[in-house]
Amino acid sequence: MSDWSKVTRPAPVPNEWTRPFWEAARRGALELQRCQSCRSFQHPPYATCVKCISVDLKFEPVRGIGSIYAYTIMYHTGDKRFAPAVPYASIIVELDDAPGALMVGNLLGAPVSEAKVGRRVEVVFEQLNDDITLPQFKLAAPRKSTAG
Amino acid sequence: MPKWENRCKIALAGVGYSKVTRSADLALAAHALEAVKGAIADSGLKMEDVDGLSTYPELPATGHAEVDGISVVSVNCMMAMLKLPNLTWHMQVGNNNIGGAVQQAANALLAGVCRYAVVWRAMHNPKGTYQNLPGAQAAGATQFTGPFGFGGPGQHMAVAYTRYLERHNQSRDKMATLALTQRKHTQHNPHAFFYGTPLTREDYFNSRMVAYPFCLYDCDIPVQGAVAVVLTTAERARDLKPKPAYLASYGQRLHFEVAGRIGSLADYMEGGASSAKLTWERSGFSPKDVDVAQIYDGFSASVLYGLESYGFCKQGEALDFIQGGRIALDGELPLNTFGGSLGTGRIHGLWHIIEGALQASGRAGSRQVKDVKVSFVGASAPIVTGTTFIFTREPY
Repeated sequence: MSDWSKVTRPAPVPNEWTRPFWEAARRGALELQRCQSCRSFQHPPYATCVKCISVDLKFEPVRGIGSIYAYTIMYHTGDKRFAPAVPYASIIVELDDAPGALMVGNLLGAPVSEAKVGRRVEVVFEQLNDDITLPQFKLAAPRKSTAG
Repeated sequence: MPKWENRCKIALAGVGYSKVTRSADLALAAHALEAVKGAIADSGLKMEDVDGLSTYPELPATGHAEVDGISVVSVNCMMAMLKLPNLTWHMQVGNNNIGGAVQQAANALLAGVCRYAVVWRAMHNPKGTYQNLPGAQAAGATQFTGPFGFGGPGQHMAVAYTRYLERHNQSRDKMATLALTQRKHTQHNPHAFFYGTPLTREDYFNSRMVAYPFCLYDCDIPVQGAVAVVLTTAERARDLKPKPAYLASYGQRLHFEVAGRIGSLADYMEGGASSAKLTWERSGFSPKDVDVAQIYDGFSASVLYGLESYGFCKQGEALDFIQGGRIALDGELPLNTFGGSLGTGRIHGLWHIIEGALQASGRAGSRQVKDVKVSFVGASAPIVTGTTFIFTREPY
């Protein structure tokens, strides 16, 4: 399992488009940009809706549960700040509430071999400093099958 | 859909190479100058004949300064070195990578604003780590990637590759065929970094993992070097020294991408399909007409995305498509016959364009594929910077 305790992460710098996302994360909530016209979510935040070009966008809460869309396991230690965590899993997550909006995170609290496309994950919040809290992910309990 | 009215009106008639080295012993400007002079000499032109210049001066390494002449070679830098007395046109492009610079040069020739255009791509290998993550702060698009240890394009492409492998139930072991075949082709290309260095199946499987699913031999090695071409009108090209390769058509990706959104396999597929569609329609050809293909391979998976999105095989089938000798020099679709970036080192797609033209004009030496009439090039990863080209042996 990756040891993140000795890793110094670059700190995100919120801007006018992304500040609501980071302010929500600091409160321990997940909010994504949503088009008020076609109702689709998108991430990262953008100036316009990438589906319907509406500029009427607001941040709305979403549940922090979804699936691994894709991932990579990093072995290369080019950046020494991340070297203590190698090998680590960087994952792309598609939330159940926001199909098509792809979030980046690390898979925490599990061996990297647990990273698989389709694996269920849920958000955990990792405080980086007073201003920034990172939404991260851990394995979720498998979805209860409703199939007969 | 009618064919492009300008098909085969432009030709590539001159190629040049610098020495490709692992480290930056010489200023990059010296590499670019060597390649440009080589291309002009190959064409049989004199320096004063050259009246057009174009490039894409970009340093793909992240976290390093762009210094003209050292880490990039701009049009301005080339103008200062060549002091062309008859220069009438120049352009450097900011996206579409070097394929965009080639297309701009073709457009300028068609517009009649220059007669002989030189296009070069110079690539720097900085000292220290090639891909640096952001410093203490991650601003802009990197605020959503850098904090999680996402650096350069290799990792970006690696996430799409895991999705590819697991969605299509494929095995990365099959990629060894691509790496080995291309390294074999490299042994026919004396300009390539890995010329004289064979690669075995054991080497591939024993190599260190970089960013799973990419091992060392799935990644092109960063190098210092440059390549260049001469483009002119088909009419003028017939009077030059080498047999010309005719530009039948080109395309560029039309699918847009959102900065910071990574991992989307669909972005690669839609990007490649949009560029290829233009190229097929403008030329009147389809994938089954292609005799030889160069498909950008900065990271091996890019070839899979290319083969599928350009229409050479169905989605999810490329790893099987490349097996059984199909992509060898005497195969059904000889692929990356110059060794690809995996063989030459990281020079980006101008070398793919060069090889596409050399194969079309029958100038590829010991790696020449027999009876090439239609030669296809995918000059960048199908995403973002994707461009595609078709060269033919004869106008039609």
